[in-house]
Amino acid sequence: MNKLIVRKKWFGALLASMMLVLMAGEALAHGERAQLASMRMRTVHWFDTKVEPLNVKVGDIVTVTGKLVTSEWWPNQLASIEDTVFLNIGVPGPAFLRLDSEVNGVPMMRSTAFPLGKVYEYKTTIRARIAGRYHVHPILNVKDAGALVDKGTWVEVAENGSDAPFINEYTTLGGETINLETYALKGVFTWHLIWLAMGVAYIVFWLVRKELFIPRFIRIRELGAERANELMTKRDFVAGSVFFTLTLAIILGGYLWAENKYPITIPLQTGKVEVLPIEVPTGDLEVAVDSATYQLAGRSLTMNFTMTNHNKSPIRLAEFLTANIRFMNPEVNEGEVYEGEEMVAKAGLAVSVDVIAPGETVQVELVASDALWEQYRMTGMINDPDSRFAGLIFYYDDNGERYYQEVGGAILPEFF
Amino acid sequence: MSETQTAEITEVEAKSRLLDLKSLDNPKAMKLYRRFDGIIIIVLFLFIVLGIQIHFTLTAGDWDYWIDWRDRRWWPLVAPFSLLLFIAPFQYGLWARVRLPVAGTAVTTLLCLVSWMSRYFNFYEFTHFPMSFVFPSTYIGLGILLDCALVVSRSLLVSSLVGGGLFGALVYPINWAFMAPYKVPVELNGMLLSVADLMGYQYVRTTTPEYLRIIEESTLRTFGGSVTPLTAVFSGLCGMVIYMLFLWVGSWVNSLDKFTKRIV
Repeated sequence: MNKLIVRKKWFGALLASMMLVLMAGEALAHGERAQLASMRMRTVHWFDTKVEPLNVKVGDIVTVTGKLVTSEWWPNQLASIEDTVFLNIGVPGPAFLRLDSEVNGVPMMRSTAFPLGKVYEYKTTIRARIAGRYHVHPILNVKDAGALVDKGTWVEVAENGSDAPFINEYTTLGGETINLETYALKGVFTWHLIWLAMGVAYIVFWLVRKELFIPRFIRIRELGAERANELMTKRDFVAGSVFFTLTLAIILGGYLWAENKYPITIPLQTGKVEVLPIEVPTGDLEVAVDSATYQLAGRSLTMNFTMTNHNKSPIRLAEFLTANIRFMNPEVNEGEVYEGEEMVAKAGLAVSVDVIAPGETVQVELVASDALWEQYRMTGMINDPDSRFAGLIFYYDDNGERYYQEVGGAILPEFF
Repeated sequence: MSETQTAEITEVEAKSRLLDLKSLDNPKAMKLYRRFDGIIIIVLFLFIVLGIQIHFTLTAGDWDYWIDWRDRRWWPLVAPFSLLLFIAPFQYGLWARVRLPVAGTAVTTLLCLVSWMSRYFNFYEFTHFPMSFVFPSTYIGLGILLDCALVVSRSLLVSSLVGGGLFGALVYPINWAFMAPYKVPVELNGMLLSVADLMGYQYVRTTTPEYLRIIEESTLRTFGGSVTPLTAVFSGLCGMVIYMLFLWVGSWVNSLDKFTKRIV
């Protein structure tokens, strides 16, 4: 009876394990919802992110372009982007090859530093390598702060119909064209086999003998420490000398052979590059934050501003961007939504003032509300150690020219 | 009297030891011992394979995973440091108890085998990195030198100075035979890169940004400018010290020998 119960328990545990494996979903995201809400709102404002084309075949090129603003409201508790940052691309490992990346026209093979409050344009060119459906994100890896992820865009990579293995060719400065997928692997295999053979031979020499662990232990215990070396025979000494000499000879021979075959080599390259921020036209809108409240029940952020339009043209507020979520004003038909773009609330922004006339100072209430607050775990902002918000306000003049300005300040929750 | 035994042995124990010694002439007992030896080999094999894989992954993982991490300065220091502190206690135990100088070769050979398995299944098959970017380094020759220094000198001190020194000093030369092609220069958008740097850039690692690599950081280069030989000398010195230090750790562990006083 007891055995039956134990068997049932084992069967239950096995079944539960199998269910867990079968029920596990695919990991399709890169943690864009996992970071603290304040981190997403107050570090980097990504916008105009465009991934194209969205349907490609293995070997085809995909470009990821966009802009970013480094927030002047960067959290003090977080290592700053002003120190070291690297423009990366969020794809599942080497599903794509990164062919090129640049920020404001500067190649980004190396790391750099971004001052706060500046605007940068980036472009990353990748080549599809493995077929599949991938969520492609631009990423900034900030030293000691971690990855700051933009929203993702789905890219479908189909097989290219060829059975030939993927080739990634490149020409060295010496003029040799190499395939990085398999480059120099023959030498790697050969040398590893040589050393494995040496290692196995040495181990076999010592372990294949009549008396091994227990007999030798008994003898050494009897001989004592002073005479224990009597167990080492002349044969052992000769074999040790031969292995020692042969090993040194192979190391030296291999080194000289490689030096002769590859006479020109360089050390690994590193360092930082400097990127100057770009100048963008300012819309001359003066914005002062009066208050900001977050309604937990309504999933909305209400912001009150005093705005003064110093522009010669009337201004219409079109969009509020925070934590990569776009809250768009449906009353202003501006702002492009790109194919495949996520995290867009097309009617998510209510603005109390339609137009701000030139020279006019007005009190403006912006209400950004959408289920995306919940979906992207922004409701967790009440748990942040530093209750502040930041975001970009996009506005347009009469000529359809777009301007943007960062706003930020303290935020208070409303629980009921 | 065994070197690890300090207390006087009792009359009963002396008789027991005499019986143990006589049992070596008994074919039945020897057959039993060989079976026990087989079990010891299996246990040691599993322990070393799992231990060195976890230990090396935690202490020198990225340096061995990616070809664009193996610089001239840090990798030749980190790798022998990590390996010697694992090898030394085993070496002491196997030498003091059974005079089998195999720990260096066994650990490095098993590390090589398990690393290839990991790179092939985890990195190549599962995550699609090309093997040319993730192949492991080899340290087997260094393990052989370490063991053979002990065989020839029959002295832990001398083997520390010679074997430990060579183990640290020769990390770069032993791997250069197959690593040199990855240090050939290429150009990308007007910037000079080695083939290894280019691969590190092209084969995307989302959570391993460029700045995480520790490339040539330190002031060793100010001493004459020759980075590789200087690092080799320094690494050799570190190898001697680390090996000695952890042999001492091994001797301390072996002094806890109550459980091995009696085997029958």
